[in-house]
Amino acid sequence: MSVADYTAKRSVRLGGLALIALIALAGIAVLLFDIPLDRIFTVGFVNRTLVGASPIALAAIGGLYAEKSGVFNIGLEGFMIFGAITAAAVMYGMGGTSPSQPHIWLSIAIAVAFTLALTVLYAVLLIRYKADQIVAGLAIWFMGLGFAPFAASLLWDTVRSPGLASINNYAVPYLQDIPYIGTIVFNQSPLVLFTVIVVVVSWVFLYRTQYGYWIQAAGDNPKALDTAGVDVNRVRYATVIFSGAMAGLGGAVLLAHAGDFVGTGETMVDGRGWIAIVAYLFGNYNPLGAAGAALLFSGLDMLQVQFQTTDITFFGRDISARLIGLAPYIGVIIVLTVWGKTRMPSSVGEPYEKEE
Amino acid sequence: MSDAEPGRFRGVLDWAANRMLNATVLERIGIAVGSTLLALAIGLIIVAAVGHDPFQFARDLAVGAFGSQRAFSRTLQFTTLFILAGVAVAVAFRAGVFNIGVQGQLIIGGISSTLAMIWVAPILPNGTGGGIVLIILGLVVAAVTGGLYGAFPGALKAYYGANEIITTIMLNFIAIGIVGWAVDGPLRPDDARSVRTAYLPDNVGFPQLVFENPNFSIVGLALAIAVVVIVSIVMTRTSLGYDMVTSGYQQPAATFSGVASKRMIVMTMTISGMIAGLVGAVFAIMVQGYFIDPTGIGNYGFDAIAVSLLAANNPLGVVPAALLFGALDSSSSYVQIHSGVPVQLIDGIVGLVVLFVAAPELFRMIAQRTGLGGEDK
Repeated sequence: MSVADYTAKRSVRLGGLALIALIALAGIAVLLFDIPLDRIFTVGFVNRTLVGASPIALAAIGGLYAEKSGVFNIGLEGFMIFGAITAAAVMYGMGGTSPSQPHIWLSIAIAVAFTLALTVLYAVLLIRYKADQIVAGLAIWFMGLGFAPFAASLLWDTVRSPGLASINNYAVPYLQDIPYIGTIVFNQSPLVLFTVIVVVVSWVFLYRTQYGYWIQAAGDNPKALDTAGVDVNRVRYATVIFSGAMAGLGGAVLLAHAGDFVGTGETMVDGRGWIAIVAYLFGNYNPLGAAGAALLFSGLDMLQVQFQTTDITFFGRDISARLIGLAPYIGVIIVLTVWGKTRMPSSVGEPYEKEE
Repeated sequence: MSDAEPGRFRGVLDWAANRMLNATVLERIGIAVGSTLLALAIGLIIVAAVGHDPFQFARDLAVGAFGSQRAFSRTLQFTTLFILAGVAVAVAFRAGVFNIGVQGQLIIGGISSTLAMIWVAPILPNGTGGGIVLIILGLVVAAVTGGLYGAFPGALKAYYGANEIITTIMLNFIAIGIVGWAVDGPLRPDDARSVRTAYLPDNVGFPQLVFENPNFSIVGLALAIAVVVIVSIVMTRTSLGYDMVTSGYQQPAATFSGVASKRMIVMTMTISGMIAGLVGAVFAIMVQGYFIDPTGIGNYGFDAIAVSLLAANNPLGVVPAALLFGALDSSSSYVQIHSGVPVQLIDGIVGLVVLFVAAPELFRMIAQRTGLGGEDK
């Protein structure tokens, strides 16, 4: 059985299992608690899920590229925080508390450029100076948790930004009036559409181009790639820098949807970078699978909004939003336990040294 | 030493491990000091770049941590917690398991010991005797619940292959969420203005022997140091510690000499979680006197990762590293008031320290370029 067959079968199996599990859960929920499903799975729910999934999917694709090439970028969460604060700061710098739509786009671009520059330094530490990938990644998280609120305090005297602005939906005339599909597809955040394009393009790039094969070889068999005359470390530099930029983009997209920066607690990124890592593990390093997992986690997360608006109670008690908000984290643990042994690229974590 | 039964093989490994440790101990200290200095230097540059006086900032750091008896006792208060949390992390890292979940384990340990002490208090006499029993109970409960909360991801890793880095981080979020919900709802007394549990009984607390700081007692520090001593003895002088370290660094060797590596992972995470639980109990007993919303607790569990790494995961090295971090934390409010630099900068500097500790090659290169310590090759 070839590798392609294996992954194809595996993803079908995983997808099928996930679907069955969801349907079973929903069935149990409906029977046991008399939950109005039609009031939970609304168009608004689908939209919120898509908006919530895009930052996770973007960061996940970056992370999976890096890991495919043999470098575990565990700093995704930190780079997302840097992306979010940079976008907020630039937006505020250009338009104060009422930035225009072009300002938002420009600030996303600058946030990506900034996190890209940061990741260049990070990649040099990881690849040239063989830094411990786990520890260095955690360090990026700590730095994000420290420097982002620090920057916010300098700018706004508190760790929270004032309300800035969020991105406007595009609306296609006439088509947006189609029931259900209209509001989901034709009256949507452009960043969601953009994410969909990125997901598809990164799948094609990884599995259908020469360079994509190099990336896979850099992680699975660096020696062979080296023998074929391709510089392994160069490939790894490219993917690590790409992964940081993508996480920065994810953070900026998160900010552009939220409209203000929150630096309290674990900051507004609040674990999304970690969820992104799990999303690509769950998606078995496949961009489409990772995006699907991001959708699943985001959907779990958004359920809390639905539960609140529909006043659903369990055994006569209100369900606290804080408890429902834990669903994605619990889901991640279950997912990891059931599919813990994902097929990792075999050289992840090892610096590659050319034998002279 | 237990070199009786498996014989020569162990002896050889022992010798090799000791050789390696001694040869690199100086280098590791050099890397730790170098990382800290480099991170502080970058911190000072940032301070200057945002328009504050870096010299004032450096002076405030020192004065805020050691400048008065109050400052110093506050430094020791943080140091106590960092020592315990740092040892919790070090035990796991030493054995090759990444316990990023110390924060969650300390939260679970802290809340359960607080509740145990509050619930059991009415059936015990009020005086000092009852207090001592309650404290011991609190510490035991914290160790048990923290240990269980650590054993869980350990078992998931050992038997289901679930990555412990991710599961422990998820369990942190879960502990923060559940305990946060509980202290704001079912556990919150009606008269509490802030989000917290009821107060611990009056007779629960460490005696003030040296400093007059209601949030610090030398007894707490002594307890932390005792844990350090016990852990380093267990790690270096018992077969359990030996098995833990070999299964971390020499997995095939450990398996050949009959160590059940799966059980060892669970054991390691349990011990690590038990110590993490103690942090929560000491936090409740010594510092707060009740338990609060976990989002309001400092990031001891995360900073402890930095503490442990700075100490090269050596339990004894954790003590000076914890003192450094305690000092940084202690001076943060002083710094903000006196130099106007936002305190979060200090968290960022901590991140930089960790980043540099992760890259020993960088310092080897610097050492070679500058000719310092260049004698090794």
